[in-house]
Amino acid sequence: MPERETIGDVLARRGVSRRALLKYTSTLASVMALAPAASRAMADALAKAHRQSVIWLSFQECTGCTESLTRSFNPNIGDLIFDVISLDYHETLQAASGFAAEAAREAAIAANKGKFVLVVDGSVSTKDGGIYSTVAGKTNLQLLQETAKDALAVIAVGTCASFGGLPHADPNPTGAVPVSDIVKDKPVINIPGCPPIAEAIAGTVAYIVTFGKLPDLDQRNRPRAFYGDAIHDRCYRRPFYDQGLFAASFDDEGARKGWCLYELGCKGPVTYNACATIKWNGGVSYPIQSGHGCLGCSEPDFWDKGGFYKPLSTNTGNDAEIVGAAVAAGAAVGVASALIARHRKRKAQTAKAAAKTEGQP
Amino acid sequence: MNAEPTDGGFRNGPLTGPLTGLAEAVFGEIAARLQALADSGEESVIDLRSLPLTPGDRRELEERLGHGEVCAGLDVGGLSEVWECGYAGVWWVRHLGEDGMPRSEHIEIAAVPAILVTHAGDIASAAARLQRDAARPAKEDTRHA
Repeated sequence: MPERETIGDVLARRGVSRRALLKYTSTLASVMALAPAASRAMADALAKAHRQSVIWLSFQECTGCTESLTRSFNPNIGDLIFDVISLDYHETLQAASGFAAEAAREAAIAANKGKFVLVVDGSVSTKDGGIYSTVAGKTNLQLLQETAKDALAVIAVGTCASFGGLPHADPNPTGAVPVSDIVKDKPVINIPGCPPIAEAIAGTVAYIVTFGKLPDLDQRNRPRAFYGDAIHDRCYRRPFYDQGLFAASFDDEGARKGWCLYELGCKGPVTYNACATIKWNGGVSYPIQSGHGCLGCSEPDFWDKGGFYKPLSTNTGNDAEIVGAAVAAGAAVGVASALIARHRKRKAQTAKAAAKTEGQP
Repeated sequence: MNAEPTDGGFRNGPLTGPLTGLAEAVFGEIAARLQALADSGEESVIDLRSLPLTPGDRRELEERLGHGEVCAGLDVGGLSEVWECGYAGVWWVRHLGEDGMPRSEHIEIAAVPAILVTHAGDIASAAARLQRDAARPAKEDTRHA
């Protein structure tokens, strides 16, 4: 592609009309809760903008974040985001490997010094010098430090890069830390989620390209457009919460009627993400709509918060008193289960004996 | 294309369901915004996907707004459905992706929804293409056949 070709030129060459671009920005403006007129402004600005150079580094991760973007059910997002950006390095997606791949990364950094956006998925191992995760003989820590110093901004994609994620979970054997613990001299945007929603990744990059600035961020450096509301506040089951109607088990009458899952451990009230509005699988559903409570995967330490099925009103700390109470409760449940099982066994034996008696001549 | 309101894949489950009163609130907001359009020409958009409407609420809103004189279908990066509601100047716009899955859905209060207006850039590009095509003979001239 010619160096100074605009995104509008690229799209026109591919036969993508401005109406199609407007449809795309209309979706983006909708999911980013921008002012209604923003979709037209975004379409105009995107058409005039140049493609943004992006270098994507993967550290201690599962590739779920890349999968979320590239396997998006939204072809518009998948296709158009790659028209909007110039993805100059991505280990999973690029054809090059070995020395050629590393040379490509160094060339991309040199060609776009101070202008490229660095995207990182995965946490950074720091224990024992970060030796637990290396690429081409360099630790993730080294790669991050030497690449971030020339970046315009850093986007930490996924909960691992944003908050440490699963590698950071107790006992954190690799000394995993989030990107923001390492990069201190430039903006780090967090797009957490396990994985994050494709539209949140694409929308944030598109926003930077469109408006030439970082989006408005919350106290955890997450774009407010996607993480400004608690899932609970946008949940279609919220009216049931307000009416005090809760499912008490996954197969009771309340569950069948679609009542609020708060008592089943839903973390929606303390989780900030766009699952309830953008949804997953092409807008089909999200965990709560599918009958399971929110795990809170876009919040720090969600794995270590004491249990996915404990209501938020339960103290989920790890102090001895709570653990003791949990053990006592577990023992009580165990005793009850044993009694029920014994009762059922006795009932079955009685029925079997009765059937045997009836079957005798 | 089916111009009747459908669930468009935005909902899972029955179209009926509990009413929360949100449809009534949105209906009132549309009324205020349509008045603003009538008074000052101010256009506006209400994003339906960002609202926690239950299936029942959505059905209620669709029924209250009704259908007007115009409906249009677009095939651009997937299908889109646009219809004027029973109140002139109120448009229901639903965009689907190329996979037929929903992308966005909003109520647009305007004389013409933005997606229906042809962009000046596309007109210029089409004019140039038409000039080129007009200057070339048709592949097969059958006028005297």
